[in-house]
Amino acid sequence: MGSNDLKYEVSQNAYIKLVLHSLKHPTSAVNGVLIGRISSSNDTVEITDAVPLFHSQIPLLPQLEISLILIEEYFSTKGLNIVGYFHANERSDDFELGGVAKNIGDHICRYFPQAAILLLDNKKLEALKKSKSSSAIMQGCI
Amino acid sequence: MVTKTEESELKNLEIQVDNGGGGAWEYLSLVRKLKVRRSDKVLKHGLSILNDSKLRSKLGADEWTLYEQVAVAAMDCQCLDVAQDCTKALRKRFSESKRVGRLEAMLLEAKGSWEEAEKAYSSLLEDNPLDQIIHKRRVAMAKAQGNISGAIEWLNKYLEIFMADHDAWRELAEIYTSLQMYKQAAFCYEEVILAQPTVPLYHLAYADVLYTIGGLENVQTAKKYYASTIDLTGGKNTRALFGICLCTSAIAQLTKGKNKEDKEGSQLQSLAAKALERDYKQRAPDKLPQLTTALKSLTLSS
Repeated sequence: MGSNDLKYEVSQNAYIKLVLHSLKHPTSAVNGVLIGRISSSNDTVEITDAVPLFHSQIPLLPQLEISLILIEEYFSTKGLNIVGYFHANERSDDFELGGVAKNIGDHICRYFPQAAILLLDNKKLEALKKSKSSSAIMQGCI
Repeated sequence: MVTKTEESELKNLEIQVDNGGGGAWEYLSLVRKLKVRRSDKVLKHGLSILNDSKLRSKLGADEWTLYEQVAVAAMDCQCLDVAQDCTKALRKRFSESKRVGRLEAMLLEAKGSWEEAEKAYSSLLEDNPLDQIIHKRRVAMAKAQGNISGAIEWLNKYLEIFMADHDAWRELAEIYTSLQMYKQAAFCYEEVILAQPTVPLYHLAYADVLYTIGGLENVQTAKKYYASTIDLTGGKNTRALFGICLCTSAIAQLTKGKNKEDKEGSQLQSLAAKALERDYKQRAPDKLPQLTTALKSLTLSS
């Protein structure tokens, strides 16, 4: 989708919010929206914040529409945009981006062409509890 | 589905037990009665009762129910050795029991030995073809293995026999929505609403699905169901209020140029908008400006 090589920076704030949200609902799929901006030199997308969205009934449209509208409103006053989408699957070995996530991701890409989708790796999340690895536990796809 | 009073009672008991105030047995019984999924707490407090022989003997015959409850909770938390110990104790006491057989099959399922668990369940079903819980375990196994179409098939077969199990209809509806098969999901929700017409949650979910399918008739029906949700919850359900605003603007977009529904629609929308603003003023006053702009953009786009 993007023509040049873009770097993506995920801030600690955003990362922690997303991980905590998925940990709070271990039995369901969760999703969320990434907020940020594109840096002035036009080559890095800074993801400064994240808003967790749902933990059940993800693919239903009305809630998604309202939440996206409200989020846009709130963050445009601060000069930030929706820059991506985050998804965590229900089952621990399901590591594919399901149809719903792809659709939502495509939609966000329409408004912000350099958007990224982050998919949580559930196995690494589990390992995180036992070890103290600091490797990223999400897979990014564009 | 638990009501608000039961949920708050459960929370109070939970806090009490967590802080060492006793009442663990009442908490566990309430969890069992309401069939909620609080496996880590059940495991912790159940084990504390079981490991204390004085408390255990006080329970009498209920001891075995507690063993069963703790075994299931242990499987949910992946503490399989605890689950195995509980199951062994139960097997020693009830050597011919089918209920214990079911627990042992669940243990196989928790370990991930799908085929052995499948065999165990099938043999248990031969003896007792009307055991609801085993049927549901089979659906759960299919879902856990990622075989969603298999899960749908099993669940449909189950519902042919047990048509009145509304939790199963709900589960089927959720599976369908996750696969974006919205029409089938709508059908499931219709069944649930027929069975339990006074639960607002189902009306809300049905309205959501109808709106997602789209099309003028569906959105109009969705608006009616949002309205009935508000009716059933006394006007407090934020999602339904937002739903009405969305529906009105969607209907207006779909019927551009026709002036029939103007009066009735806009009245409902303004009422919903007012209720939302009141709600936000009470609970989140600093977010009120976003709400007003969002609502304005919805009405403007319509």
